[in-house]
Amino acid sequence: MTDLTIQTADSTTRTETSTVDIGEIRRVMEYYQQQQWTDGLPVMPVTESYLAEFLAQTTRRPDDVLFSVPHLNRDLTVRLAAINAALAGCLPEYFPVVVAAWEAIAQEPHPRRGIWQSTTGTAPFTVVNGPVRERIGLNCQGNIFGSGFRANATIGRAIRLALINAFGLRPHQLDQATQATPAKYTACIGENEEQSPWQPLHTEYGFAPGDDVVTAFVIRSVMHIEARHTQVPEQLARDFADTIRRTGALIHEYSNALLVLTPEHAQVFAGAGWTKDDVRTAVYENAVRTRAELAAVGKDALSRHTRWRLPADHPDATPDSASIGSDPENVRIMNGLGSVQIVVAGANNAGVSAVVEIFGLAPRERPSSYSKVAAG
Amino acid sequence: MAAREALLDPTGMDERSADGTLAPRPTSLRGLTVGLLDNTKVNATPLLRGIADDLVDRFGAGDTRLYTKDYFGTPVKDELLRQIAAECDVVVTAVGDCGSCSAATVADGILFERAGIPAVSICSDSFAMSGAAMAQVQGFPGFEFITVEHPVASLDEKEIRQRAATVLPDVVRILGVGA
Repeated sequence: MTDLTIQTADSTTRTETSTVDIGEIRRVMEYYQQQQWTDGLPVMPVTESYLAEFLAQTTRRPDDVLFSVPHLNRDLTVRLAAINAALAGCLPEYFPVVVAAWEAIAQEPHPRRGIWQSTTGTAPFTVVNGPVRERIGLNCQGNIFGSGFRANATIGRAIRLALINAFGLRPHQLDQATQATPAKYTACIGENEEQSPWQPLHTEYGFAPGDDVVTAFVIRSVMHIEARHTQVPEQLARDFADTIRRTGALIHEYSNALLVLTPEHAQVFAGAGWTKDDVRTAVYENAVRTRAELAAVGKDALSRHTRWRLPADHPDATPDSASIGSDPENVRIMNGLGSVQIVVAGANNAGVSAVVEIFGLAPRERPSSYSKVAAG
Repeated sequence: MAAREALLDPTGMDERSADGTLAPRPTSLRGLTVGLLDNTKVNATPLLRGIADDLVDRFGAGDTRLYTKDYFGTPVKDELLRQIAAECDVVVTAVGDCGSCSAATVADGILFERAGIPAVSICSDSFAMSGAAMAQVQGFPGFEFITVEHPVASLDEKEIRQRAATVLPDVVRILGVGA
């Protein structure tokens, strides 16, 4: 029989024989399921004394509101965020990252306007930069979008459980997603700063590399890009642009993307002397569809009411921006360089990267928001 | 053995009080002003117009006034809510035929009821659960709204007329004036 080593609140450890009262554990697990306080998976039971360990990790007051959805008449307090983080299986020392994630999400335009009730089925997606990754064991290398790492799995899940519990965003009820995305279980990655040829994401906002920062995106799909065949940066940039300009993802006038580059792909660019802005420029300039291609799928104009794409002969149609520009036959799919965000993550073992499709109605300078992780 | 502790509620709902009181109902629609709140979804206007025509022709309603929301996904803004409450006696709002707008349409109805104006919210039946969940988070779990057969957006003029005629008995019942 193996033993359980338990870390207690006062940082002592004690060892106990690993026997349990399975009847009580099952009763508690089933209680949470019956209350619908879960994403379907078992959750960690939370009591006041366990909650106190989370609240001790932040200087924010328990009653501080982190995120509100006014039309749902619901607020997420620090206390509720902490209960749901504990429920998700976070360790208390993850909580400052969860708080920063909520502070970033609160600045995003769509979540507070009800995007997570929507049929489109988007999910929150967070990128963590800085030394905190190491301190809490947040994966930024191999299997970056996969399972196996407690910090990644539970920080993303802490967001999801609070959306379900505190905002009532349960599937089939307030959450009316038609299909949604697997990212709705959890979606939190670290940047592989150590194997990146460039300065990390958060330094673009003016932070020092030693600062801990969470960046929040609202995403739909994660599309993989397999390109092991080329060392030519122009070819690689076109491969990314081809995925970004796919018409199926083109809901509004423009698309936004987060390139999650494997270190090998980042090196193809950096080795040729390209900066991140050079990568952005090459992707932006190749993210183009001909007017005929858009007409062929009935997306060559915009709705006057909703600004969604629809056929030019629709009664509600109004021309897109390209139609009244200098080159109406070639339609840019991205609004500007800021629509291309870049992080490096994944193992340094193959030319396999990803395009994360970012949801956004109106063009923005940067399709994401960020917040610094406060010292505990 | 450690002390036993209670499991905590992760919803925060226990801290809230419910208010499920409807606005006072009129005895008849005769001469009353009917507000129509269009959420900009396709076919919301003809559906509301169809209902309004019947309320005037068959139930003696006086004026009908059409108002338009600036965004379908969230509830009516305060300013428009106050204007409608000042200018109308009852309100019909439509059409909640998507994830966010179904919930917003039900929230609108609840906001009008709490402002003292009897209200009828109309959603498509695909989104009945979303509307009911919104009523729950708003602390008005029993709020009654109308569901019309989905879809609405793709219907032609004649089909929209039929949908309007189908829901009319429920509209007048919810407004409290009977058939």
